Amino acid sequence: MNIRRLGWRNLLSNPLNTTLSLLLMTFGVGVISLLLLLNNQIEQQLKANLKGIDMVVGAKGSPLQLILSSIYHIDNPTGNIPYAEANKISKNSLVDFTIPLSFGDSYNGFRIVGTTSQYPELYEISLKEGRMWSRSLEVVLGSTVADVHQLKIGDTFYGTHGLVEGGHVHDDYAYEVVGILKSSYSTMDQLILTNSHSVWKVHNHETIDDDHDHANCDHDHEDDHHDHANCDHDHEDDHHDHANCDHDHEHDHHDHANCDHDHSEEVELSISEELSIPDDAMITALLVKFKSPVGFIQLPRKVNETTSLQAAVPALEISRLTSLLGFGVKTINGIAYIIILVSGLSIFISLYNSLKKRRYELALMRVHGASKWQLVKLVLQEGMTLSLLGAIFGVLISRLTLFFMTFLMDQKYAVSSFQFNLINEEFWLFPIALFIGIAASLIPTIQTYNINIPKTLSNA
Amino acid sequence: MLQSESITFAYDKVNQFLFPDIKLEKEEDLLIIGESGVGKTTLIQILAGLLKPQSGRLKYNGLSYHDLPSKELDQFRGKHIGMVFQRPHFVRNISILDNLLLSLYLSNNEQDKERAIHLLEHIGLADKLNCKPDELSQGEQQRAAIAMAVVKNPDIILADEPTSSLDDTNCEKIITLLKEQASSTNAQLIIITHDSRLKSQFKKSIIL
Repeated sequence: MNIRRLGWRNLLSNPLNTTLSLLLMTFGVGVISLLLLLNNQIEQQLKANLKGIDMVVGAKGSPLQLILSSIYHIDNPTGNIPYAEANKISKNSLVDFTIPLSFGDSYNGFRIVGTTSQYPELYEISLKEGRMWSRSLEVVLGSTVADVHQLKIGDTFYGTHGLVEGGHVHDDYAYEVVGILKSSYSTMDQLILTNSHSVWKVHNHETIDDDHDHANCDHDHEDDHHDHANCDHDHEDDHHDHANCDHDHEHDHHDHANCDHDHSEEVELSISEELSIPDDAMITALLVKFKSPVGFIQLPRKVNETTSLQAAVPALEISRLTSLLGFGVKTINGIAYIIILVSGLSIFISLYNSLKKRRYELALMRVHGASKWQLVKLVLQEGMTLSLLGAIFGVLISRLTLFFMTFLMDQKYAVSSFQFNLINEEFWLFPIALFIGIAASLIPTIQTYNINIPKTLSNA
Repeated sequence: MLQSESITFAYDKVNQFLFPDIKLEKEEDLLIIGESGVGKTTLIQILAGLLKPQSGRLKYNGLSYHDLPSKELDQFRGKHIGMVFQRPHFVRNISILDNLLLSLYLSNNEQDKERAIHLLEHIGLADKLNCKPDELSQGEQQRAAIAMAVVKNPDIILADEPTSSLDDTNCEKIITLLKEQASSTNAQLIIITHDSRLKSQFKKSIIL
């Protein structure tokens, strides 16, 4: 038996008060910790997905939307841009490299992105199995896509027009799985990658088919137009303006020379095909990496002012986004700190009341030889144990909550990289909790220190 | 050897006490008898080192322990003095056995569990070792309180009205127990009471 054990026994023999104080502290610390974790995860996730992309070029519209749609794949694209024009930017001397992205189709909610093999390389993701695509209509799956749909190498599937499930199915061309990427806990896990030509091909073909031979086409135009809802592209000509094949039908759909693939049947296409790009090819966005920071000063402004395209800087848009979120976070944080204060009050009241009842015990302990400081230790320890335990439970519970949130959340937006270790800001929670615990014990402690033994004994 | 000379204490101008001198040789027991209001509790608290006398000298084996610094006085009290109160008191949240161990811990004694258990068994509480104090009957509590005071082998056992609320049979039992425990640990027993039934039990007595 010693002071520490006696303190524990005292806490345990007053379960209701102890539970209330613990719950309040756990809840307060838990909310703050959860916010910190979420903030941290979102920031990490946002930054991890940037991967050194300095600028994104796309159609005019909201810059934030452009960033969200083309880097994080969570919003609809702003529209399409001509590949030829985007390519001019690639040739600028300040540009290190560019990666084109063409999307607008999906498979059960997972986006099909036409790009180059540089895209997965940028994310430093290697293949888990299979190989990269070597010709059109071959696809490489992100790890989550493969997991969720149990797709294997050699499997085929049809893309759906639009970015959500239930759109029109492009059932003339089947995609074939040739590779599966390793899991990277980035948006890449949620994507289906193929070359740009596949996307052009699927849409070119359908447009032409639609116009020439309606009999061969098992969808009608009504449907087709509805499908565009998910695809923010230009409806001006009220045509089959598929996201990635925004060519002008007035001029082009009779001119097969501009469509350099054979639409009558699936033809083995060689790699050399990739080199020939249709004049009217459209892409959704172009990711740009600068050679030097000078690019930041010159290029975004130049693109925005001199071309019909829009350039957005991800770093700027993301800090704009997080500062918007910041206000809500601060409010909840404030409430959580108030809860912690209330828990301090609860600790104070429960200590104060239990000491009032136990005053005689303290005097008795002094009679048996306890020093003032031993009793101070006993009282302080109870307050500190409550507050620290509450803080520890809070930090644990925030992790459990986050774990279940991740678990329950839609796979597509999963915050997949999960961390159990403390983040820097959380270390502060412990001294804060401890301070509250000590402050709450202060008055009971002083009363204990100054206890009048003879009087207390006589009044018992 | 416990020796006091002209100890006085005053709560206020009305309640002033001058206590008779005490001289207690080794292995002597003492009965202090007095009516209500003559300062019995005050005297026992002074003897226990809980209350500082306003004047006079009080020495144990030549040490005037009231002059010790607070912490050393606490230790002196823990080591040398065992107190038994009129009504038994314990630390309520821990078992009777743990109360005894706590007493050993606070007096800087080794927490000899065997000895504590043996003592409780001896006073008929073998089956109550792990009971909380509230679960014991009044008589059991009385005995347990004595065990808590003597478990640390004190040199002086101070008992404040240990029998006043007891019937003759129980009074007899408690006094026998106190005397027995005192002699088995070579402690001197000082009882302060208004209970004149005890007079015949002690060779040496003082009237307040």
